[in-house]
Amino acid sequence: MSITATELALQMTDVRKTFAVGDDVVVALDGVDLTVGHDEILALIGPSGSGKTTLCSIAGGLLTATEGSVVVGGQDISQYNARELTLFRRTAVGFVFQTVNLVPFLTARENLLVVDEIGPRTGARARDRADQLLEELGLSDRAKNLPAQLSGGQRQRVAIGRALMNEPALVLFDEPTSALDTELGDQVVHLIREEMKSRGKAAIIVTHDDRITHYADRIVRIVDGHVSGDTPAD
Amino acid sequence: MFLAFREIGRAKTRFGLLIAAIALLVFLILTQQALQTGLITSFIGAIERQSAPVLVYSVDGERTLQGSSITPDLEAGIARVPGVAHTGRIGQRTFTVAIDGRAQSDAAIIGYEHADLGAPQPLSAGRLPAAPGEAVGSEGDFRIGQKVAVLGSAGRPDLTVVGLARDAQIQVTPTLSVRWPDYVAAARATNPDAAAILPNVIGVRPDAGISDTQITARINAALPQADALTRSQAAADTPGVTAVTSSFDVIFLLFALVVPLVTGLFFLIITLQKSRALTLLRAIGAPSGVLVRALLVQVLIILGGGILVGTLLYAPLSQTKVGSLSLRFDPAAVLTWAVLLLVLGVASAFAAIARVLRIDPVEATTGEGGR
Amino acid sequence: MRLAIRELWRRPGRFVVATVILTLIALLLMFLGGLLDGLVAGSTGALRAQRGQLIVFSTTARNSLVRSRITPETRTQVDGVAGAVNVGGIGSVQLGSRVPGHGPRDLVPVVLMGYELAPRGLPATPPPAGEAFADSSLESQGVHRGTTVALGPARTPITIIGFVDDTRYLGQATLWGSLATWRATQSANRPGERVGPGVVQALVVRSAAPHAATPAAIDAATSGATTTLTIGQSIDALPGVSQQQTVFDQIIGVTVVIAIVVVALFFALITIERTALYGVLKALGASSSALFWGVLVQALIVTLIASAIGVVASLIVAAVIPPGTIPFVATPLRLISSIAFLVIAAVIGCAFSLRRVLRIDPASAIGGGQ
Repeated sequence: MSITATELALQMTDVRKTFAVGDDVVVALDGVDLTVGHDEILALIGPSGSGKTTLCSIAGGLLTATEGSVVVGGQDISQYNARELTLFRRTAVGFVFQTVNLVPFLTARENLLVVDEIGPRTGARARDRADQLLEELGLSDRAKNLPAQLSGGQRQRVAIGRALMNEPALVLFDEPTSALDTELGDQVVHLIREEMKSRGKAAIIVTHDDRITHYADRIVRIVDGHVSGDTPAD
Repeated sequence: MFLAFREIGRAKTRFGLLIAAIALLVFLILTQQALQTGLITSFIGAIERQSAPVLVYSVDGERTLQGSSITPDLEAGIARVPGVAHTGRIGQRTFTVAIDGRAQSDAAIIGYEHADLGAPQPLSAGRLPAAPGEAVGSEGDFRIGQKVAVLGSAGRPDLTVVGLARDAQIQVTPTLSVRWPDYVAAARATNPDAAAILPNVIGVRPDAGISDTQITARINAALPQADALTRSQAAADTPGVTAVTSSFDVIFLLFALVVPLVTGLFFLIITLQKSRALTLLRAIGAPSGVLVRALLVQVLIILGGGILVGTLLYAPLSQTKVGSLSLRFDPAAVLTWAVLLLVLGVASAFAAIARVLRIDPVEATTGEGGR
Repeated sequence: MRLAIRELWRRPGRFVVATVILTLIALLLMFLGGLLDGLVAGSTGALRAQRGQLIVFSTTARNSLVRSRITPETRTQVDGVAGAVNVGGIGSVQLGSRVPGHGPRDLVPVVLMGYELAPRGLPATPPPAGEAFADSSLESQGVHRGTTVALGPARTPITIIGFVDDTRYLGQATLWGSLATWRATQSANRPGERVGPGVVQALVVRSAAPHAATPAAIDAATSGATTTLTIGQSIDALPGVSQQQTVFDQIIGVTVVIAIVVVALFFALITIERTALYGVLKALGASSSALFWGVLVQALIVTLIASAIGVVASLIVAAVIPPGTIPFVATPLRLISSIAFLVIAAVIGCAFSLRRVLRIDPASAIGGGQ
């Protein structure tokens, strides 16, 4: 199977990331090459401190790589400054974080609309899209509820809807099931797969939970900042 | 804007309390301001609103109307100073009076020899005294047609109010202005032992071409016993005016410190409390500017709301009287304080803004940003 | 609690802002209080020094000494009242005094009091004509024993033969002479206020215990020509004293409220910053009350440091200010009450953080909380 660069959601080439901790330099990622196809779901697995969250942050424009190139949906973001990265995050990627995903004082619907509010507004179009997403995620009757009034699974679905609002090329899931019990975690990952596949979106799911990897198209293992294994999921 | 309004809408109590606190402070500030203005006007209004451009006190009087006493020698000396066109006697004393035969109260009586050197001006109603026993009263304390009896041990001379003057009190006491012979009669009625009723100050009008300040300098140079002051100097230099101003200034300074302190700490606290949400917003692509703008919009809403409510509370109160003090709605004070508090309040949000600008969006991945 | 003290010790930096603001508030409270006490003391000294319990004014004077006139006939009626053990006349005149060594326009305002019944600190027999005792605050103006000051436009000479403490009246220093000296000085300088022989402004009455019935008995004996007040009532009737007290009490009240707000907001801030730490401590078994005590102890220590600086500064200011210039006194009562206000403010302010400490979930320490 040959994939051309334009069809790739993500292409990381020889990416290195170091942090200064006191007088020491910690290498978080070293010589990472990684590609994700335009509708591929990739599970990124590794033990705590292996660099998986750092990799995900670089792919999402939250961090910049110390060396190497990062191309997301055809955009080379390697040399972007903070302002350009902010614009990139707003328009080109979607995020679902591990813990805090929703603004507590906004309703479910407003949590989706916030994506439109923080940039140049499109108004009616964004409202239509938010309503459509909520319906597709089975949350129409919960649109006016605050996060505190939603269950864990419902919150995670709102977060997925929020991540899809800007029609991103790539959606990044950082431990999306860690705060959920096994059954609910299973449901959520199932939902992620369905939503991504039906929309033809690429996704990276960062996890240390081996059980959910069978929902992925491909599994990449990361240890000590090195991408070591690349196996198709069963 | 969306974020700012939604947050206020969802936390009405918290923001409502802050608006209420600021409204209360604004109300207190404006009330104190009205009290201060009213107090000073009532203290020296009669000096500011009398017709003599220059007042000559005796040095011994130390710039109080009642403490000053002009001897016949000094009076003659003032009239002889080159450049003095006219002089007129002015006297002032506090009496116990009965208004329309009813309850006793204090009243200051100011006596003047010539209407253009010491009579109140302008009048808000009625006319100046033209016949013996007529008086102009301070507005709010007297009404035209009232009979005022001076309660003395040797007689009860009656005065009839024929005119009113606004802001014409002295020493925060209801004040009557009468012609010189009526003043002397009142003083004699209260103290039959009096040897001579001397004027307290001499009103002076300079020759054409000589300014008020020039004539005060000439009188002071010529007469070591004389302390000549222009009308506005005499009002401002009255002992007690500075004391009143400075004690109120301390109150104002305190209030002016509290408003930014309260708003600054409040917004810092809520910024810290919602810093996880702010980190999330930064992570999904909200520029810092959007978050700072939302914060500033909230600060302006809170301050604007507080100032508006405070002013609305003050408006009815400003139409009332406190004791013998008449308060007044002062648009200039409202405007000045509104601008000052807005500026101070926005400046105080600096700490919260700095916190917003320090947010690192990558902390969204670790669940940090709570600190 | 030891943790709280250790935090204060190791991280003094984070408490500096609160300490500085509270110190400013403590200084403000103590200075304002000291100023108020000084002003009141400087207005009321002449009345507080009286050994009599009652003061008799003429009714039409509305409790004003300068407007009051008691004739010899009225005095005879008062003398006849059973409860009035001793009766003495009193008179006052406010004049500018020329002190040797001062410039021609540099006058020292004084009130010359004429007395019969000696106030505290003065001999039973008033000094001879032309001589007087002076309030000790005049010493800072260059007045000494033997100095002759010239009073008023008539330059009436009065020779100072001694000093008496804490007898200022309406913010001005007093001179204490005989009624004859007062009458002569008043007549020469204020001819319009001259009084006839035997006339005084008011009477000081030493009353037989119990005093309660005596004022009514006196006013009845004079057929309502007099109004008799206790010393306390006549102090309240002094022009400006109660207004001054109200204005200052109001400022002090506002300052205390500010202290409460500052402590409340500051410790709320510190508590929010320490939410995670408290979560860990609770997970380790620390009780909410132990954590809240820690916050309270920190607030109290900060308050006491601020108070201590305020007390020391007040005592220094009181010692440095020459008497008769700025009316400032540092009384133990005022300092203690100021500290009490600040401590109460700290406790109330901290109480606002109590709810927050109680609400912290120990599970947040292990990442369970959102």
